[in-house]
Amino acid sequence: MRLSTAFAFARRELRGGLRSFRVFLACLALGVAGVAAVGSVVAAIEGGLSAKGRELLAADAAVELTYRFARPDERAELERLGQVSEAIDARGMARIDGDAAVVQLKAVDDLYPFYGEVVLDPPMPLTQALATDAEGRPGAVAEVALITRLGLEIGDPVSLGEQTFILRAALLSEPDKVVAGLGAFGPRFMIARGAAELTGLVQPGTLFETEYKIKLADGVALDTAKAQLLEQFGDAGWRWRDHRQGAPGVERVLSQLGAFLILVGLAALAVGGVGVGASVRAYLDGKTETIATLKTLGADGAMVTAVYLIQIGVLAVAGVALGVVLGAALPLIFADTLAARLPVPSAFGLYPEPLIEAAVYGLLAAFLFALWPLARAQQIRAAGLFRDLVAPEQRAPGLGFLVAMAALTGAITLAAVSFTGVATLSLGFIGGVAVALFALSAAAFGVGRLARSLARGRLGRGRLPIRLALSGVAGPDGSGGGETRGAVLALGLGLTVLAAIGLVDVNLRRLVADQLPERAPAYFVIDIQNADLPRFLDRVDGLDGVERVETAPMLRGLITRINGQTAEEWTEAGNIAEGYEWVLDGDRGVTYSDRPAEGTEVLEGAWWPEDYTGEPLVSFGEEQGKGIGLEIGDQITVNVLGRDVTARVANFRRVEFETGGINFLMVMDPNVLRGAPHVHIATLYGEEPQPGDYLRAVAAGFPSVTAIRVAEVIQRAEGVLLDVAAAARAGAVATLITGVVVLIGAAAAGQRRRIYDAAILKTLGATRWEVLSAMTLRSALLGLAAAVVALGAGAAAAWAVTWYAFEARFVFDWGTALLIVFGGVAATLATGALFAVGPLSARPARVLRSRE
Amino acid sequence: MSDPVIELRGVRLSLQSKAGVVDILRGVDLTVEKGETVGVVGPSGSGKSSLLMVMGGLERATGGEVKALGRDLTHLDEDALARFRRDHMGVVFQSFHLIPTMTALENVAAPLELAGDADAFDKARMELDGVGLGARLDHYPAQLSGGEQQRVALARAAAPEPSLLLADEPTGNLDGATGEAIIKLIFGLAERRGATVVMVTHDPGLAARCQRQVRVMDGLIDEGVGAPGAAQATPAAGAAA
Repeated sequence: MRLSTAFAFARRELRGGLRSFRVFLACLALGVAGVAAVGSVVAAIEGGLSAKGRELLAADAAVELTYRFARPDERAELERLGQVSEAIDARGMARIDGDAAVVQLKAVDDLYPFYGEVVLDPPMPLTQALATDAEGRPGAVAEVALITRLGLEIGDPVSLGEQTFILRAALLSEPDKVVAGLGAFGPRFMIARGAAELTGLVQPGTLFETEYKIKLADGVALDTAKAQLLEQFGDAGWRWRDHRQGAPGVERVLSQLGAFLILVGLAALAVGGVGVGASVRAYLDGKTETIATLKTLGADGAMVTAVYLIQIGVLAVAGVALGVVLGAALPLIFADTLAARLPVPSAFGLYPEPLIEAAVYGLLAAFLFALWPLARAQQIRAAGLFRDLVAPEQRAPGLGFLVAMAALTGAITLAAVSFTGVATLSLGFIGGVAVALFALSAAAFGVGRLARSLARGRLGRGRLPIRLALSGVAGPDGSGGGETRGAVLALGLGLTVLAAIGLVDVNLRRLVADQLPERAPAYFVIDIQNADLPRFLDRVDGLDGVERVETAPMLRGLITRINGQTAEEWTEAGNIAEGYEWVLDGDRGVTYSDRPAEGTEVLEGAWWPEDYTGEPLVSFGEEQGKGIGLEIGDQITVNVLGRDVTARVANFRRVEFETGGINFLMVMDPNVLRGAPHVHIATLYGEEPQPGDYLRAVAAGFPSVTAIRVAEVIQRAEGVLLDVAAAARAGAVATLITGVVVLIGAAAAGQRRRIYDAAILKTLGATRWEVLSAMTLRSALLGLAAAVVALGAGAAAAWAVTWYAFEARFVFDWGTALLIVFGGVAATLATGALFAVGPLSARPARVLRSRE
Repeated sequence: MSDPVIELRGVRLSLQSKAGVVDILRGVDLTVEKGETVGVVGPSGSGKSSLLMVMGGLERATGGEVKALGRDLTHLDEDALARFRRDHMGVVFQSFHLIPTMTALENVAAPLELAGDADAFDKARMELDGVGLGARLDHYPAQLSGGEQQRVALARAAAPEPSLLLADEPTGNLDGATGEAIIKLIFGLAERRGATVVMVTHDPGLAARCQRQVRVMDGLIDEGVGAPGAAQATPAAGAAA
């Protein structure tokens, strides 16, 4: 085979224009544009984060500690690197005239911020706003949300803990808000570092964090500094961040969300692929005579394949280029709107990487979906020119084609895994799409067969429109080929994604909103001092509606060693199961108790006796303990408030964090921790007469205690879920739009046949109304079939996600189901209406004569 | 005497249709010598076009032996058959079967290009001149009349200078005068180039102008008419059962 000849032939074929490839180009361009646009937005955010790394951190680097300050030796090491600014982060309750609100407290020194700007209203320097006035009252600034919530005015006194501050300005922006804001429980309340101790919120045992922001001196290398510090103090619970990755948490969330959205984009591309396949099939069907002629003239199978593969390649490049341009342009066009709505900094521009990624997906998908029809075209025989009465041979594609298709599928999977970096999700998603395509394909066949038998049965007897509609759905050979297959595959896959996302969304929201509060407490109360505990219990017991109060000593500890090995060595030895790295990652809750809490289920081992005084023992959450490779009898060392405590694992118990009650990963025997300085936490169960009643009551009597309303936390979680669901739904809608384009393509391809059918029907005496009824019914049946199949596939996917990923019971939602069915029928009816005019206005004589 | 151009021995052809297996050729023996012009006649559905297809390797016989130019076609695969046609055969169809996206010149050059002939376009131009279409080189099939399209098809079949020219009802879609012109071109070409011609036709007058006539009836060859002695055309034993 001569490649130059193949190119020459391909060029001649394409000279006729791209008219027959509009659907091919549209499908591919849409799919690629979606992936490219999502990737570009993610890249813009990453670009924004990395360009503003120093501002996001307000420093070159920062070290975070939990519940303690840096020791003098640590501080001295930090200061060898450059200037050091100390900041404290804690939760508290701002109070005024009997009203109170939870705030996220930040106490900063005069050096803050090294980079970026704190914007206040009225404008003034931060040090001035936080300074202590002549009467000894320190200043504070607060976010507008708090000012509004408590009805404050500039100059008002606001109490926090045991100190009263004067509100000097509204805090409009702080440079490191993105980083700090992730775990925030309330609006920001900022005070001077020197005033922090006056509040009583920062003392041994209370929940606070310190951050040491560093502005590196000239000549200090970041990597060397980091390595030295972590080697020296890594065991002491140091967490390091630097401007190269100013917001690692944000970046992680972003890259996961980005990966998920790109995968949804890939589903759109798969739908586009169905359209590509259908239009290649339609095109090659029209080329049967040309291919047979070429074979008569001496072209072998390889030549025929090459001629059409080159054409598909050229078109794929054109479609992909169109998609890349669209995908790059859309985020740029809406850059201002997007930047304003994003909670993180962004730098919109042309980022080649996501565009290349989208192009790779697009090219691979185009060839993958084009190969099957091409394999069939290659089998066209020269004898086809002589006869069409004999059924064409339907052979499976040759081995070469099958290998190529498998290789392309592998390449797409590999590309998705390496581009998104999330192997399990990518594999699951692509596997899901592949299974859905096969299932939908089989369903199309089933629908065709069902329609054929219904058309032949009593239902179709004497009812011409019904019989016509059913046989239209059955397709020419009664196996749901042609339009039925296109509709069920393309529309069905789009609706499947929409149904799956809709059902997962409903189930997650139900999980958060409905199931949780039934068992969840109304309030979490933290930082109850040891000495205040009896008085606190007295106070809350007398509150209206309180049904139950649970308390527990609250400490935090970092697991530093297991069986003598450091946590790092233990991890490197491969003891940690996937998904349990977090157990060793940071501080975890620790409490002590002489007996198991009510409802505790000890699964393995035994609880210690009430008067136990021997070797320190610990009870560990079963799932988490086994997740990090622990066994009964193992030794773990936990750093609690800077002190190492080594205990032996005595038992595993069931821990259900989902219930919202008090739960600790580790419960130690009382002897070990009773003497350590610590606070208590409490949960209040019951229903308060007015929202915020308990909060105000607690705030009034216990200035240093923080009460968190669980309902608000749930609302915030719901808010995040809603945002994620909205983004996912947008992706699913893009999939659906691509599906509708495929549908339009399929309808356009069948238009000549429908006009011909209508002409024959009219010749036989059918009225236009009967023709229209048959067409409408057929469209509705197609949509219904696609929607029902999609609903099944979507529900299966949603069940798998809910059951396996969230370990929750799946509940089918009829609202979503109806929406999907309605959407499917509406899509096919609308498409049908687009193409109704031709058949309705067909003049029988003209149509039939032109066929002769 | 040189080897026969076509040698069919007990050729059978059965095809699967929706209604079941159809026996189209039921055991055909036929020999065509070099330089002969053979007219194949018979009623519609008798199997004459299928016979032509089997000769051209366009259809694979389900039984018997098919030899063309001394080469056994029975054991060649689809691609090898295509290459064999490219190098040795030209085919003319009733419906012309020009490639609609190619101009007249490109259509005629196509088999030469497939054979890797560097002078494909020069030869194609000469061939089109020869059939009187020198002024229509850049016209697409849709811009040509039926007669002109068949002349392009003939030029395309003749361009690689094949030893064997197969024609399936070449005048079937043309009016009398145009058909006559085409027939003259075919015979003229065969004579000039010494090519063997096998032509399927409904037209007894046209068949009579061939050196030999073969009648196909119900998948079998009737007693030969025309030049005797050059061929034996008999049904295979038992094939008519």
